[in-house]
Amino acid sequence: MQAMEISRTGLDVEWRRLEVIAQNLANANSSSRPGTEGYRALQLVSGPRFADHLGGGGSGRLGGVQVYGVEPSAAAPRRVHEPGNPNADADGYVTYPGVDHAGEMTLMVTTSRAYEANVVAMNTARQMYMKALDLGRGS
Amino acid sequence: MSAPAIAPASAVAGIERLLGTSSTAAPAASGGSGSFSSMLLDGVASVDRKMAAADAQVRAFAIDDSIPVHQVTFALEQAKLSLELMLQVRSRMVEGYQQIMGMQL
Repeated sequence: MQAMEISRTGLDVEWRRLEVIAQNLANANSSSRPGTEGYRALQLVSGPRFADHLGGGGSGRLGGVQVYGVEPSAAAPRRVHEPGNPNADADGYVTYPGVDHAGEMTLMVTTSRAYEANVVAMNTARQMYMKALDLGRGS
Repeated sequence: MSAPAIAPASAVAGIERLLGTSSTAAPAASGGSGSFSSMLLDGVASVDRKMAAADAQVRAFAIDDSIPVHQVTFALEQAKLSLELMLQVRSRMVEGYQQIMGMQL
């Protein structure tokens, strides 16, 4: 069951990562009023989780992965000359968040593949469990 | 192999409780209330907890589908696997019980 539990944490994290990517892409064209801080691209930070963090079992047990936090990225905002836009500043520039489109798409593919890999690992663990139940059956 | 040999009486009681048909072996259960039958009961209780958890997940998902789907399917799968394990334990124990009952004295 432990292997399945680990895969489940992987699924949780990748699901969360996809939500962050979706949020970034959805806000790629959110302009901000001059003088206010607009949307900033978010980045999910994840890392290993050990079971003894949760107080379970001895040290060295594997606990999967966990989300450490969702941090705004340091990417500089994009400034576009659009004098007609209501959000334009005095010089006619509109500020858009610095969402890296290509990077987000790449990350999305990676996330999707990682999710699938976790599902495959979980199914393998399940098959092994079922095989173990077959041990000595029908004798 | 050794499970029926250790404590047939408590094994029988465990099966009876497992199946919910405590017809004859009630005194035997009180006599041999060792760790074996309590272990069995713990196992059944754990299966029951997993079932209840899966049920709660499905219910929560039906009300609010913002929780990830894989958590629902995972809970269902886990409940199914532990039920499968319980069925295996049950059938092995019944097998052992029947072998002992068919023993020539």
